Amino acid sequence: MTDKTTENTETKAASAAGPKAEKLIVSSSPHFLNTESVPKIMHTVVMALFPAVAASVYFFGFRALLLVLVCVASCMLSEYWMQKIRKKPVTVYDGSAIITGMLLALTLPPSFPVFGAFLGSFFAIVVGKQLFGGLGFNIFNPALLGRAFMQATYPVLITTWTSPRTVGHAVDAVSAATPLALMKFEGKLTPLMDLFVGNVAGSMGETSVIAILLGGLYLRYKGYINWKLPLGYLGSMAVVGGAFWLADPARYPSPLFHLFAGGAMLGAWFMVTDMVTSPVTPLGQWIFVVLGGAMAVIIRLLGGLPEGVMYSILFMNAFVPLLNKHTRPKVFGEIKTEQS
Amino acid sequence: MVDNTPTLWYEFKKGLWQDIPPFRLVLGTCPTLAVTNSVINGVAMGLATLFVLICSNLIVSAIRKYVASQVRIALYVVIIALFVTLADMFLAAMFPPISKALGPYVPLIVVNCILLGRAEGFAQKNPVMPSLMDALGIGIGFTLSLAVMGGIREMLGFGSFVNFKLLGEWFEPWIVMILPAGAFLVFGGLVALVNYISHRKTAAGTNP
Amino acid sequence: MNSFAKMFLNLTVVGVVSGVILAGAFHVFDPLIQINKEKELKESIFVVLPEAKDYKVLEKTVGKEKLTVYEGIDASGQPVGIAFKADGGGFQGNIGVMVGLNLDYLKLKGIKILDQVETPGLGNRISEPAFEDQFKNIEITPKVEYIKNRKPEKPNQIQAITGATISSNAVVTNINNAVARVLKTFPKDEMIKMGEQAKPASAESKEHQK
Repeated sequence: MTDKTTENTETKAASAAGPKAEKLIVSSSPHFLNTESVPKIMHTVVMALFPAVAASVYFFGFRALLLVLVCVASCMLSEYWMQKIRKKPVTVYDGSAIITGMLLALTLPPSFPVFGAFLGSFFAIVVGKQLFGGLGFNIFNPALLGRAFMQATYPVLITTWTSPRTVGHAVDAVSAATPLALMKFEGKLTPLMDLFVGNVAGSMGETSVIAILLGGLYLRYKGYINWKLPLGYLGSMAVVGGAFWLADPARYPSPLFHLFAGGAMLGAWFMVTDMVTSPVTPLGQWIFVVLGGAMAVIIRLLGGLPEGVMYSILFMNAFVPLLNKHTRPKVFGEIKTEQS
Repeated sequence: MVDNTPTLWYEFKKGLWQDIPPFRLVLGTCPTLAVTNSVINGVAMGLATLFVLICSNLIVSAIRKYVASQVRIALYVVIIALFVTLADMFLAAMFPPISKALGPYVPLIVVNCILLGRAEGFAQKNPVMPSLMDALGIGIGFTLSLAVMGGIREMLGFGSFVNFKLLGEWFEPWIVMILPAGAFLVFGGLVALVNYISHRKTAAGTNP
Repeated sequence: MNSFAKMFLNLTVVGVVSGVILAGAFHVFDPLIQINKEKELKESIFVVLPEAKDYKVLEKTVGKEKLTVYEGIDASGQPVGIAFKADGGGFQGNIGVMVGLNLDYLKLKGIKILDQVETPGLGNRISEPAFEDQFKNIEITPKVEYIKNRKPEKPNQIQAITGATISSNAVVTNINNAVARVLKTFPKDEMIKMGEQAKPASAESKEHQK
C-alpha cells in the first residue's frame, strides 16, 4: 500500500476504463427482492451461531473462545486488507467475514494452534472469497475451504482431539477419538444422548446438536434459510445411512447416529444453506442436498476418512453453477409436484 | 520483436522471462507440478529437460534441409525419445536416488510440449546457432521455474532449502505444499505474479 | 515418388542411427543400473537381517506365482534368517515392505519400508525407524497385531501410529499375508536344503561380471 508506483498505475488503469468504473458495484447472489440488507441478514446469522459458540466454550473452555476471536479477527483483517489492495469498497462490517471466521473456528479442534487458525482464516478469505471476486462470487463456502486447507496443511494437528471438560476427569486426556472415529476404527458407538448434548470429543462447535438446532431453527423462524436445504441434506444422510444400517445393523450405525455425530448438523444448518454457494432453483437445491448427504454418508462408511460432511459440501458447491444453469427450465413443473 | 534480425543474445534471453515456459507459455506444466516438491528434484528435472532440448534442437536444426515435411513430426519424436532414453538411463545408472524420486517423469519428457514445440516452432526454421541459444534460454528458464517452484514448496512443506534446515523448530511444515494440491496453489500464484509484473512493465512502457 | 523415397530414407536413417546409439548406451549403462538395483536389494536385506554379510536367492514356483526369498548368511556361510518382500495396498498406493524372519519361523527379525506414498507427516511415518524397529522380535503366531494409543501388551503386538491407523494396519496386513505365504511355500526343512544348494549372491554376481 505504500508502493506509490503501484497506486499510480492502478489509478491510471481505472480512470482509463471510465471515470465511474471504480464505483460500480456489480451485484450477484445473494439477491433479495425485499428490503432486507446484507448486513442485517448476516448479523442474524451471527446471532444464530451464538448458541454453538456458547456450547463450545462450555464444553472446551476459554480456549474455544480464543480460537473464535482469532478466526473472526483474522477473517476481518484479511478482508479489509484484500479489499484495500483490490481498491474495492471495504465491506468488512457487513458481517460475512465474521460468519466465515465463526464457522471456521467452530470446525476446528479445540486444541488447534492459534497460528493455524490465523492461516486458515487468511486462506478462507483471500483464496476462498476475495480472489473469486468477493461476496457473491465465491464458488466454495469460504469457511469450509479454509478448513479443507487446514486439513491438508496440518493433518496431524487437525485430527488431534481433546475430550470436553465435562468428561475430562482423567488427568492426561490429551488425545481422544471422535464418535465417528470410534465407530469407524474401533466399532464403538457413542450414546445418542451424549451426542445430542455435545458431551463428546470433536470440532469445537459441531458436537452439541441442541445448540446448533437452536440457532438453525431461529434462522428458519426469521425466514433466512430455505427448509429444503438442511432437511433435504439431513434426510438424505438418514436415508442412505439407514439403508446401510438395514443391510447390516451390526456393522453400520443407525441413521440417528449419522445425524447427531460429526459435522452433520453444523454443515446442514449453516454451510449447506450458504446463500452464495447453494443453487437457486428448487430442483437444483434438491439435487444438491440429496447427492451431498449421500456422499457424506458414503465417505463416512466406505472412505478412508471418518468424516465426509466437509468434502461432500465442497464437492457439491462445485456443481452449483451447473445445477443453476440446467435446472432452470424445469422449475415451474417441479414446484407444484414437490410442494403438494 | 522490434528487431528484424534477432540477435543470438535475444534468442537466449527470451526464454528467461518473455517466453518462460511454464508461466508464460504454460507449456511443460506436467513436470512443473509433479516433481517440484524439493529444489533438487526440480533442478534435476530441469537439467534433464535442458539436455534433451539442446540435443534435439541442434539435431533438428542441423537436418532441417533434408527432412521430408510429411514425416517431420515422427522424426522429431524419435530424436527426442532417443535423448530422453539416454538421460533416463544415465540418471538410473549414476544418480539412482534422483532417478527414483523423479520416477516415470523422466521418460515422460518425451511428451513434454516444450520439446516438440521448440523443434516445430523454432529449430526447423532457424540455423544451428540461434537454435542452440533458443534451447539454452528456454531450458534454463524452465530449470529456473522448477527451482523456484521447488524452493517455495520445499520451504513451506519441509521448512528447508536444498535439504538445509532453514526454518527453525517453531515452524510447523505445511504438508499441503508437498502434496499435488500445493503444486497447483503455488503454480497459480506464480502465474499470477508473472502476469502482474509484466502488466506493470507494459503499463510503465519498459517492455519492448 | 521422389518425396516418398525421401520420407523412407529420413525415417530409416534416423531410426537406425537412434537404434545404434541406444544399443551402445544400454551396453554402457545397464551393468551400472543392475549394480544399483542389487545394491539397493542387498542393503534392505542387511537392514532386516543385521547379522547377514551375504545372501542366497531361493526361488520356487507354485502354480503361476513365483515366490522369491533371500536367505541371509553370515561371514562363515551359516544361515541367519530369511528376508522377503511384502507388497499390498496402503492408504493411497502400494506399500512395499522387506521382512526379515528368524530361522526358527517364530519371530520377525526386523522390517524395512521400501516403497510407500502415504500422506506426508501422517501415514508416511511408517518408514520412520521408531515404527520399523517395533517389529524386531515380534512373534508371528497366531499373527502380528497392532493396538492403538497404548503400549503393546502381548509379544505379537506393535503400537499403531496415532492418526494413521490405516497405514499401520496396511503394513501389518502385508506382513501377515507374506509371512503366511512364505511359511506355506517354504517349509523349514526344505528351506534349509535349498539354502545349502544355492550359491551366495556375491559369488554369482562375480561370475556374471566375468
